[in-house]
Amino acid sequence: MRTLLIGIGNGSRGDDALGWLFLNEIEEKDPQKFDMEYRYQLQVEDADMISQYERVLFVDATEELIPKGFAIKKCEPARSYYFSSHVQSPETVLYLCKTLYRTAPEAFVIAIKGYRWELGEPLSNEASEHLEKALKLFRTSELYKQTQVKEIQTEELF
Amino acid sequence: MSKTITIDPVTRVEGHGRVTIHLDDEGNVDETFFHIVEFRGFERFIQGHPYWQAPNLVQRLCGICPVSHHLAAAKAIDQIVGIDPKDLSTGATKLRRLLHYAQIFQSHALHFFYLASPDLLFGVDAPPEKRNVVGVAVENRDLAVKGITMRKFGQELIKALAGKKIHGTLAVPGGVYKSLKAEERDTFLNGKQFSNIDTMIKWSQEMVDFMKDYHTKNREFLDTFAAFPSGHLGTVKPDGALELYDGKLRAIDFKGNSTLPDVEPDDYLEYFSEAVAKWSYMKFPYLKSVGRKEGWNRVGPLARMNICDYISTPLAEKARREYFEFTGSSVNNSTMYSHWARLIETLHCAELMKELLLDQDILNEDDLVREGNERRVGIGIIEAPRGTLTHHYEVDDKGMIVRCNLIVSTTHNNDAMNEAVKWVANNVISREKTITEGMLNQVEVAIRAYDPCLSCATQAMGKMPLKAELYDHEGSLIGEKTKN
Repeated sequence: MRTLLIGIGNGSRGDDALGWLFLNEIEEKDPQKFDMEYRYQLQVEDADMISQYERVLFVDATEELIPKGFAIKKCEPARSYYFSSHVQSPETVLYLCKTLYRTAPEAFVIAIKGYRWELGEPLSNEASEHLEKALKLFRTSELYKQTQVKEIQTEELF
Repeated sequence: MSKTITIDPVTRVEGHGRVTIHLDDEGNVDETFFHIVEFRGFERFIQGHPYWQAPNLVQRLCGICPVSHHLAAAKAIDQIVGIDPKDLSTGATKLRRLLHYAQIFQSHALHFFYLASPDLLFGVDAPPEKRNVVGVAVENRDLAVKGITMRKFGQELIKALAGKKIHGTLAVPGGVYKSLKAEERDTFLNGKQFSNIDTMIKWSQEMVDFMKDYHTKNREFLDTFAAFPSGHLGTVKPDGALELYDGKLRAIDFKGNSTLPDVEPDDYLEYFSEAVAKWSYMKFPYLKSVGRKEGWNRVGPLARMNICDYISTPLAEKARREYFEFTGSSVNNSTMYSHWARLIETLHCAELMKELLLDQDILNEDDLVREGNERRVGIGIIEAPRGTLTHHYEVDDKGMIVRCNLIVSTTHNNDAMNEAVKWVANNVISREKTITEGMLNQVEVAIRAYDPCLSCATQAMGKMPLKAELYDHEGSLIGEKTKN
């Protein structure tokens, strides 16, 4: 299954680097497995890019409290719009993809809990632990094994 | 009771700002302000860096038009190493121009399709949940796909030239670091990976036709909405043709009389000064010879159509002539014609890109960088998508930057955007008992026509949402609108 990993964040802003670091780790251990894109924010034209894939994984840091420090959620198209031209949600990009290109890849969001976001700050210890856990479990999941399963439910991932 | 309306943030613009409209006891507009309330940083923190870093560092002040800052800074830094535009090699000049036209093409496409078209397609009073690019995608799929594809074409060409779609590098002091490979070039001509340059020209032409049709149906709106007299500024070739990369500065007043007669960009300090206001971080440039009150100029597509004598590419020139046949005047002072002018420029850039993509000089790997006698001062001026952009650097004997002055396109339009807000306040909001969302959107429509990049204009650090506030005559806040 042709899969795209999109890391969202900013490598210079503390735990906002989590999305990019997740991709770096995957790239280092298994460079040929996934196509990868790094983004500060998702944009409207990303709908065109994801239309070329069967599966897309959006990896991003989150401020939300998550029990395990990370979560993998199914992402469904949703019609919403942020006022700026260059910040859109994964759900909106998926919606645009479905509306404009008559196709929508199976999509998931991998959210990893972060704590600090200031310019120049390093990754926090807590975020680093969450990143390791998320990577470890992701590598054992069906998403990583590239199965041909058409529909994967969130609870079946691990 | 008098009151103040606040629009915060102004939406579908690049960056964030705030509008306040002050009404008197009877609901008449007393004062209006378009505030830019951000910290201004790049002019200061570039100081102490070596000159050669400038083209890469300053482009970070924007994610939409970094190429414009990259090239304006590069032109200035060329002079630091003793290279004026005429001394740059032919190949390097053409590669920079190709990058520049790709940038304007993708930026104009973004503005029209993502930001402006919802107002034109659905009306300024349409519900906000519909009045956005998602609404365009749902109801005008073909238009939205073309918009995304046109932006993609420009971005892919930028990536081929500069290594990245955003914040890449092509220019180095005195030239460029690479040329284009034949197989890279062919990607944009053969249409195998994505729509080719001929399709871009065709679609650009269609967009101009769309605007002509819109004009036929909505002429009164385009003619009158936020229309006001002003000066216009841009750059032209020696023969008066529109010039986007390296021209002479020309300004005219609202009737077309010359206020700045084709002067060398390096002399800009002789002619321009900048005023400040305590309610905005954005400066107010003006022509010294005309004075602060009437010496400010609009810049960008509308101004460029006004100041040039003709356009060098055939389809865009034909479109320019038709544009002026409709407006019936050599100078157009109607804000909403900016959209039409922007689409003519989009077509012009598509034609220019094709010319250069077919030019063998862009494949030449020799003579990419030149050196001259070092200088202490460098000034680079180009026409960015939003208008005339000035970068000015001074270095010490070790080549460290000791002074930097940036006059960003949106800064020139500061007065114009404030005038546009005032027009809407006076003509749409004044004396109305109920202020609707549609009325407030018209304030944004007026600002949006200038495609302001508020982050660029203040060299922003951090977030910049736009807020509108309504104050009574005693200064008490009685209403506001905020978009985060």
